[in-house]
Amino acid sequence: MSRIINTHSGTARCSQLTEAEVYDKVITMEEAVKMVHDGDGLFWGGFGYQRAPIAFAHELVRQKKRNLTIYTCGSEIDIEIMVGAYVLSRLEIAFVAIEALGLANNVRRRVAEGAIEIEDYSNLAMAMRFLGGALNVPFMPIRTLMGTDIVNKSRYRGDKKLKVIDCPFTGQKVCLVPSVQPEFSIVHVQRVDKNGNAQIDGIVGEDLEGSRCGKKLIVLAEEIVGEEEIRHSPSRTAIPAMYVHHIVVLPFVAHPMQCHNYYDYDLEHLMMFHKMTKTEEGWQEYLDEYILGVDNHFEYLNIVGWERLHSLRAKRPWGY
Amino acid sequence: MVKYTKIEFLTACAASHVRDGENVFGGTGMPLLAALLAKETHAPHINLISEAGFIDAHPRNVPLSVADSRYYYGCAAAIGLIETLGFILQAGRIDVGFLGAAQIDEYGNLNTTYIGPYEKPKVRLPGSGGGNDIASCAKRLVIMMTHDKRKFVKKLDYMTSPGHLEGPGSREKWGLIGGGPEVVITDMCQMDFDPETKKIRLMTVHPGYTVDDVLDNVMFDLIVPEKVPQTPEPTEEQIRIMHELDPHGVYLGKGK
Repeated sequence: MSRIINTHSGTARCSQLTEAEVYDKVITMEEAVKMVHDGDGLFWGGFGYQRAPIAFAHELVRQKKRNLTIYTCGSEIDIEIMVGAYVLSRLEIAFVAIEALGLANNVRRRVAEGAIEIEDYSNLAMAMRFLGGALNVPFMPIRTLMGTDIVNKSRYRGDKKLKVIDCPFTGQKVCLVPSVQPEFSIVHVQRVDKNGNAQIDGIVGEDLEGSRCGKKLIVLAEEIVGEEEIRHSPSRTAIPAMYVHHIVVLPFVAHPMQCHNYYDYDLEHLMMFHKMTKTEEGWQEYLDEYILGVDNHFEYLNIVGWERLHSLRAKRPWGY
Repeated sequence: MVKYTKIEFLTACAASHVRDGENVFGGTGMPLLAALLAKETHAPHINLISEAGFIDAHPRNVPLSVADSRYYYGCAAAIGLIETLGFILQAGRIDVGFLGAAQIDEYGNLNTTYIGPYEKPKVRLPGSGGGNDIASCAKRLVIMMTHDKRKFVKKLDYMTSPGHLEGPGSREKWGLIGGGPEVVITDMCQMDFDPETKKIRLMTVHPGYTVDDVLDNVMFDLIVPEKVPQTPEPTEEQIRIMHELDPHGVYLGKGK
């Protein structure tokens, strides 16, 4: 019989039904990133400006990871950082740019150098690849992409990129997208309990499917809360603990991007980043100052400045 | 006479293609502002959707990203990509979508991925995002581009999103559920598509430009009908409302 501890003293539903003790899933960012091996594939959470796992990208750079493959719909400066520092060699994505600011300068340079290979999909295609992975089926059918170069041209995946077939039931043309089950899923959320029950505020993007498709899920959370808080509002739990292997708790994980209900994007920093990355020298300067020049995420936040960070805090009821 | 900037003109022009009661994929930038303007004027019952998951959005500040928290407050539902691109778009529930592009060909096919050869690209552009899905599935597609000769090409460097593909019957051949591009808005003119050949056709010319200006700035044979009217100008009311929607000039710029 497993050791029983009462984590709900004072509540009625304990006694016979108390849970066995769970081992603490909370680890440090350094420990989490150490688990990633060169050559691994990562589902990369967040969408556009929302809940980008920037702090994880920084640590991948500091630990000099190489030849990783990223699977995501649309990511922006997190991809710029990892591509710029030669952490990634392959990307299976739908979109990379800095919305409202312009092209992804580092990606543009690394593509021209031949340092990275990108297999191009659409947002629906990538989301369905994650759904397929989460469902543990080998592919999913969609009704887009057909007739275009997304189907006709491929890089390292060759004829394993996409397949157009006649539906065996209706005869209609459908496009099959291969499911993805990468080594890790990396997903940033607002809050989590120590068991791993994770709640997301605002839109989920493709993170419901993405969090369930990886062989291991690492959840990055802004805040750790008591189990009662989760059980008080279970419909907000986007990722139940059973999927979660490890938890990292840190503030401002997404800076300079945003985290709904917690903080807004730092437009000034984003514009500075985009301007500096226009040249390789400018990017190297950013990399040295904000990523390699610090030992960890708190030192990064110190450089950004707590006064600045405080000014980004979300205002109720707007959430930004 | 109403005074307006180019951006104000194009925003009003794009808004005219949104019809009341429609489900609209808004995105960000000028198309979003156009959809919001339409909602405040002739199309109060549109359902504005962002592909990131926001449904029936009423943003109080203009969002910079399709996933921006500014889209969240006041929307009717905030869900996810499978919902918006799958259940809504692929299921045929979007009436009109907007896309931009770096290159367009005479059938309205779009490139947003590479400039230069695929094997050794000169410039990596953003890629499809939801663009291919929207071009495949939206009932109507409105394309917005800056008018530059190098962008109106005979052959795309890469076809990211389907227009009318190779002409009549080719969208049907691939079972694409949407109707394809209906109109292209540039800073010189509006173009539509000839129903017989599915080729791009001049529709209206903006004030200050001539048909020859347009013909000098495309690299394929543009169909020119006998009569090419001038594009209607924005009204004072439209300009006032769009500045109320974007008071900080995020998209409209500071000059007013």
